Amino acid sequence: MKKYIIFILIAILGWTLAQTFKAIPFGADRRGDLSNPNKVAAYYLRQSPETLQTANSITAIVVNFRGFDTLGEVTVLFLAATGLASILYRKEEEDKTEVERVSLPSSSLVRTGAKILFPLILLLGIYVFVHGHLTPGGGFQGGAIIATGFLLMLITYKHFETNHNVMVWLESLAGLAFVLVGLYGLFMYGSFLQNTKSVGTLNDLISGGLIPLIYIFIGIKVGTELTNILDILLKIKPGREQ
Amino acid sequence: MVISPVHYIVAPLLAAFAIPLLTKIYKDAARLVPGIVLLYNVIISFVLMHYISQNGMISEVIAGWKAPWGINLVLTPFTGFLATMVSVLGFIIWLYGFRFKRTLKGGVVKYYEILQMMMVAGSIGVIITGDLFNMFVFIEIVGITAYSLTAFYRERNGAEAGFKYLLIGSLASTFLLLAILIIYTQTGTLNMAQIAERMSFVPQSMKITALIFFLIALGIEAEMFPLNTWAPDAYEQAPSPTSATFAAVVSIAGIYALVRVLFTLFDVSGVHNYLIVMGFVTMLIAEIAAISQKNLKRMLAYSSIGQVGLVLIAFGIGSKLAVLGAIFLMLNHAVIKALLFMTGSYFIYNSDDKRLIGLNGMHKQLPYVSALFSLAAFAIIGFPPFSGFWSKFYILISASDQKMLYLIIGILLITIIELVYYLRAVGRIYFAKEEMKAVAHKPSSNALLAMSLLALFIIVIGIYPDIITGYLNDAAGALLDKAHYIQQILGSK
Amino acid sequence: MTDFNELFIKYKDLITLAVYGTAIMLIIIGLYAVLLKKHLVKIVIGLSIIDAGIHLLFVAVGYIQNGTAPIFSPGYEQAANRMVDPVPQALVLTAIVIGFAVTALALSLVIRLYKHHHTANIDQIKSLKW
Repeated sequence: MKKYIIFILIAILGWTLAQTFKAIPFGADRRGDLSNPNKVAAYYLRQSPETLQTANSITAIVVNFRGFDTLGEVTVLFLAATGLASILYRKEEEDKTEVERVSLPSSSLVRTGAKILFPLILLLGIYVFVHGHLTPGGGFQGGAIIATGFLLMLITYKHFETNHNVMVWLESLAGLAFVLVGLYGLFMYGSFLQNTKSVGTLNDLISGGLIPLIYIFIGIKVGTELTNILDILLKIKPGREQ
Repeated sequence: MVISPVHYIVAPLLAAFAIPLLTKIYKDAARLVPGIVLLYNVIISFVLMHYISQNGMISEVIAGWKAPWGINLVLTPFTGFLATMVSVLGFIIWLYGFRFKRTLKGGVVKYYEILQMMMVAGSIGVIITGDLFNMFVFIEIVGITAYSLTAFYRERNGAEAGFKYLLIGSLASTFLLLAILIIYTQTGTLNMAQIAERMSFVPQSMKITALIFFLIALGIEAEMFPLNTWAPDAYEQAPSPTSATFAAVVSIAGIYALVRVLFTLFDVSGVHNYLIVMGFVTMLIAEIAAISQKNLKRMLAYSSIGQVGLVLIAFGIGSKLAVLGAIFLMLNHAVIKALLFMTGSYFIYNSDDKRLIGLNGMHKQLPYVSALFSLAAFAIIGFPPFSGFWSKFYILISASDQKMLYLIIGILLITIIELVYYLRAVGRIYFAKEEMKAVAHKPSSNALLAMSLLALFIIVIGIYPDIITGYLNDAAGALLDKAHYIQQILGSK
Repeated sequence: MTDFNELFIKYKDLITLAVYGTAIMLIIIGLYAVLLKKHLVKIVIGLSIIDAGIHLLFVAVGYIQNGTAPIFSPGYEQAANRMVDPVPQALVLTAIVIGFAVTALALSLVIRLYKHHHTANIDQIKSLKW
């Protein structure tokens, strides 16, 4: 009985969505007038290269125009890591006993390959977040790539340990740096997260004012945070508890 | 101006990121820093409220882009009042829980304190933001902290309640995103003032679809029937200060989001009647459920939902007096329900029974706490010398102005149900025969201070409601005057 | 050689159906998994599928005919009139991260539930029924 009600509800929702999006033509230009913008999309497309000198206009939106959202987004990730740790905290943590990660033995091929790939993956991650304002990608993507590098090491080597202290310091300092850059804008120019006046020229590596700086902090924070989450999840003891 | 609304968010964020480092230097930093931050929020709230009453509303720009282009924080008398209320209650709940978590060991305290502080900060963010998508982000911040805190204790069935809350909350964010997407495609903007301005050009069918999605999503956040099944479990399983925060802070933010979207964004006729009907059903079902509860915290949770129903009814009536009453009721609900959860949790610690039977004869063990609980119970029912009376009074008066006779009768009948179960609890405390037991957990001095402050507020406002009605009047005016809101934010182009 | 633009105009209805249809179907499939599946991990997967559908819908809505990525590469500094709407893409970035955070939290709760009840079947966890 419950099943049929849910089917009907889902069908109604699907029908509503189909009707709604039928009236929103795919591929139509909804950005508004580019020369005299009255919608945010057109405004951002104009201001991103002109005022901010940022080649990747999505980065300009994420870090500057809607930078407050991104601050919230970083916070959500941070809180998820905190919540995860609070939900899965181990009783053993209080006894200070070491818990070994669950891992299957890996062949020498995998181990050698991982060793070679690990620095390259880190380098790629750093490249992606350093060039976030010029090419597709940015802090979140770069951070995720870095975390995959650590994941590779964590599942390949049973005794590979991330230095917990360094991770905590990096994560906290990167987060604080993001907020402090925002406060710099507040005190220097009167608005939180406001960009500097000297923004360089479009498509230079150092362009866009504070935008690349913020994205680097985000990259470091996301990378360390995701690694922490993976570390916690991999250290869960198999089996059951009462 | 040196102090800007941005500090509301920035100070807790700085603290949250710094706490993991500070605990390495000073062990009790995790306990103290949130208190300092929340106190700072209280102080800036009063400074900003003073500024608003002198100079009118503030629209703080983020990243230097003017209102429709960038994200802005808006402090009207309405949002300023709610932000002040939430900060004060957040601080008092911190004060209450300050020594409460001594029993917890290790790094867990750190997690708890960060999550608890960010839940308050996120709620303030929901209230002060002027941007639709930014509101979604803050709702998610509140959500994530709330799910984690619900599942905080391992000994209880917190994980079940947390998972249930998470599932329903995720569905809420799904619908919220869909609604935001529809609004964005139709208006090309995310600023709430500009959306409100352009709403008349949106086709009716789009408007209604978006409205329904908003109602589903924000109805879940505001604990509206039938989308509130998560609430009793979450309230019951969460640590007590968190339950108090759910009632006093999170539900306020949820109601605010719903009301802001309905009152500012949409002008569809019939929404008001819908609010009255849904509010009434919410209230009726919640109070009937409350009367059949055997667990004290569950009973209080259902009573909270009932109060939310009454707030929705009052917003649905929609006259200025009714909105004033609704905001007054939000304030009363936050203060009184926080006090009920705070006192109630001491009864639970001190009895081996979590059910209402555990209350038997409590007044001998905990005389002061019992007195405060009874005071709060009478206040929430709406007995005259307490603040709860005035909010109900204003709502009933406004209903009679609108000639809604059945509504008045209905509210009064539901109040009788409320009366029955609260008096039953108070009766157990004072009149049930029970052997005198030793007091296992005496309330600590900071908890007593926090509870006394709330009780003092209930009595003072009950006797001199004029202290606050001026602010409430401004707040109600600010919510209803949509044209002024739009003009103030977009006007200075 | 046929230009993509011509193909787009020729098969516009079909492409629209494919893009929107996929997104809406993903949302529906995800909802089905969340509401009717019994296994906790499947429910969490359902949440991710819903998220994927919504993200696809966002990006699809931002597309304009014959559009390019909104990046001002060297030599294309004046190409703004051909660029797709960048706002939904920026919003999706936020939504993806939030979705990820919620999924991580949900999985941690599933682990707690499994360890406590020794099962991941929602029917056998009494307090999860509603």
